[in-house]
Amino acid sequence: MAKTQIPLNVLDTGGSAYVSERKVYPRDVSGPLNRLRVAAVIWLLGMYYVFPWLSWDGRQAVLFDLPARKFFVFGLTFWPQDFVFLAMLLMIAALALFFFTALAGRLWCGYACPQTVWTEVFLWMERAIEGDRHKRMKLDAGPWTRDKLLRKGAKHLVWLLFALWTGFTFVGFFTPIRDLAARAWPFQWGGWETFWVLFYALATWGNAGFLREQVCKYMCPYARFQSAMFDRNTLIIAYDPMRGEPRGPRKRGIASVLERARGLLDARTAYDYVFRAGKHPSAATQAAQAKGTITWDGDLGTVEPLPKFAPEELGDCIDCTICVQVCPTGIDIRNGLQYECIACGACIDACDEVMAKMGYPKGLIRYSTQNAIDGRSSRVLRPRIVLYGLILLGLAGGWAWGVSHRSPLIAEVLRDRNALYQQTGEHLVNGYTLKLVNKTDAAQAYRIRLEADPALRLRLTGEPLELRVPAGAVAAQAIEIDAPADVRGRHPVTLVVEAADGSARARLDSAFFGPIR
Amino acid sequence: MTDFTAPRLDHPPRPLAQRVGAILWPSFFAAGVATMVFFAFVDPLALRDLTFPQLQISRGLGYTLGFFTFWLATASSSLFTWILLRPASRFNRPLPPR
Repeated sequence: MAKTQIPLNVLDTGGSAYVSERKVYPRDVSGPLNRLRVAAVIWLLGMYYVFPWLSWDGRQAVLFDLPARKFFVFGLTFWPQDFVFLAMLLMIAALALFFFTALAGRLWCGYACPQTVWTEVFLWMERAIEGDRHKRMKLDAGPWTRDKLLRKGAKHLVWLLFALWTGFTFVGFFTPIRDLAARAWPFQWGGWETFWVLFYALATWGNAGFLREQVCKYMCPYARFQSAMFDRNTLIIAYDPMRGEPRGPRKRGIASVLERARGLLDARTAYDYVFRAGKHPSAATQAAQAKGTITWDGDLGTVEPLPKFAPEELGDCIDCTICVQVCPTGIDIRNGLQYECIACGACIDACDEVMAKMGYPKGLIRYSTQNAIDGRSSRVLRPRIVLYGLILLGLAGGWAWGVSHRSPLIAEVLRDRNALYQQTGEHLVNGYTLKLVNKTDAAQAYRIRLEADPALRLRLTGEPLELRVPAGAVAAQAIEIDAPADVRGRHPVTLVVEAADGSARARLDSAFFGPIR
Repeated sequence: MTDFTAPRLDHPPRPLAQRVGAILWPSFFAAGVATMVFFAFVDPLALRDLTFPQLQISRGLGYTLGFFTFWLATASSSLFTWILLRPASRFNRPLPPR
C-alpha cells in the first residue's frame, strides 16, 4: 500500500475557525436625510404604539381578534372568508416594494423597515447613555470599571423596558390592550399572553440591540435580490469618484475641483484610483474599520499603491472617513454600491457637512443614478416603472373596490351526505344544511325561497322560511325540500336568500334527487 | 500595520447539479417524513370533508397533494437558505456591460 499523506494545515486563528462579526459603532449624524428618518421613525412607531389604544365605535380601533376569527381595522371588519384581501394586500406590498426599489432604490430599508426603525431608537438610547462612536468604542475596549458597569447596565435596563413595552403593545393588537393593561397589576396575564410579550420583547432586544446590520446582511432576502430591480436609472447612494479622487487630507485654502483648474477626472482614471485606494487603504481608512466585500474577478496582478499627490492634484474627498464612521452597516461607500448598503443616506448627510466645513459644494456623496454619475442622462419613466406602476394601481384599486363592495352575507347550502333522498309515503324528501353568515353589525332576518321547475311541484318545508341571525354570527339551519313520490332523477334547484331589509341577496344552486328510475 | 479588512471567506460557485440537488433532495426527504407523520394521524378524506367537501378528492389524490405541498414548503425553505448562504461576492459585482 502506497504511503499517502493527507496534507494538513493548522489554522493559526487562535482557536476558532469562525470569524466573529466586528461590531459597528455608527457615529451620530445630522442633516436633512436624518431628519427624514427621524420623522419616519416617529410616524411609524407612533402608529405602532398608539393604534391599539384608539377606539372606534366603542371597541378597539385595530384589533386582530384571533379567538373570534375577526380582524377589526378601524371601520372595517374582516372575516376568515376575506382572506383573499389579505393575500391581495401582500401582493400589493410586494409590488410597491418592486416599484419603489426600481424608482429610488432601497427606500424601504433606509426609512421604513422595522429593523431600521427599532435599531434607530435603540441607537438613540445607546448614544444617550454611552456617548457617541468614539466613547462607545473606548468603553467597549476598556476594562470593566464601575462606570462601564453602570452605563452598560443602564443601557440594557432602558432597552429591556422599551422592548417589554414593545412586546406588550404587540400582544395588545391581538387581545384588547386596555384589558391587558388592567390585568398587568396585579399580574393576571394568561400563559400565552405572557409568552408572546416576552418573546416579542426578546426579539426586539436581540434584533435592535445586538444583531442590527447583520439582519440586513445575512438574514434579509431583499438585499440579495435587489439587483433584479435595479438598473442604471435607479436612484442610489453614490460617491462621485471623478470629483473626489484622488482622496487625501490637505491644508485649508484649496478650492473644490469644481472651482479650480483640475476639474473632474475622466472615469477610467477615477475608478483606477478608487480601486488602488481600496487595495492599499490609507491609515485613516483602515482606522475607520470599513468592512470591504467588493470582489474583483480574475488575476489582478500586483496593484501599485497610489503615489503621493500634490495638493492641487487632489480631488474633493479629504479622506476624513466620516462617511464610513456614520455607516450603520460599516461599509465604505467610496468603493461603490454594495449589497450591504441600506440606503439610509447617513453618509450623504455626513459628507455634506464636511463639504460645507471645507467650503466645497455639497453632493460629493449624493442620491444619484449610475447614468448620472457616468455623465449620461437619467430616465425616470421606463417600461418597468410604467408596468409596475400600472399593476400596482390596478391591484390597489381592485382591493379598495373589493373591500368596500364585500357582500354583507355569506350563504352556503350543503346537501346531506347520508342519503340522496328519503321516501315517506307519498313524498320524497331531500335534506340540506343552510349556513348563513351575517357580516353586519346588526341582527338580520333572512327570507329563503325555493326556485325550481314548477312542473316538479317541489316545496321548501316551512316556506316562506325566515331565519334570524344575530350581528356578526353564523347560523346553520337544517332545511328540507319535498316532492311528490313520482319525481325521478336529478333536478337543479336554487335557493334564494334575501335580507328582510333588502340589504343582501344570495342565490344558491344545489340539486334535488329522486330515485333513478 | 494591522489589516482591518475582514478575511475573505469565499468559495467559487458550485456546479449547477450540486446546487439544485442540495435544494431539492433534503427538502424531498423532509417532505416525505412530514407527509408520513401527518397522514399517519389525519385521513385525507376527513380533511377533505373539513375543508372542501364539494370537491371529489380521493385518498390517493389527498396523499399526493399533501406530499407536493410539503415539498413546495420545504424546497422554498431550502432555496431561501441557499440564497442567504451565497457569499457577498455574488452580489457585489460590477454592472453588466451596456
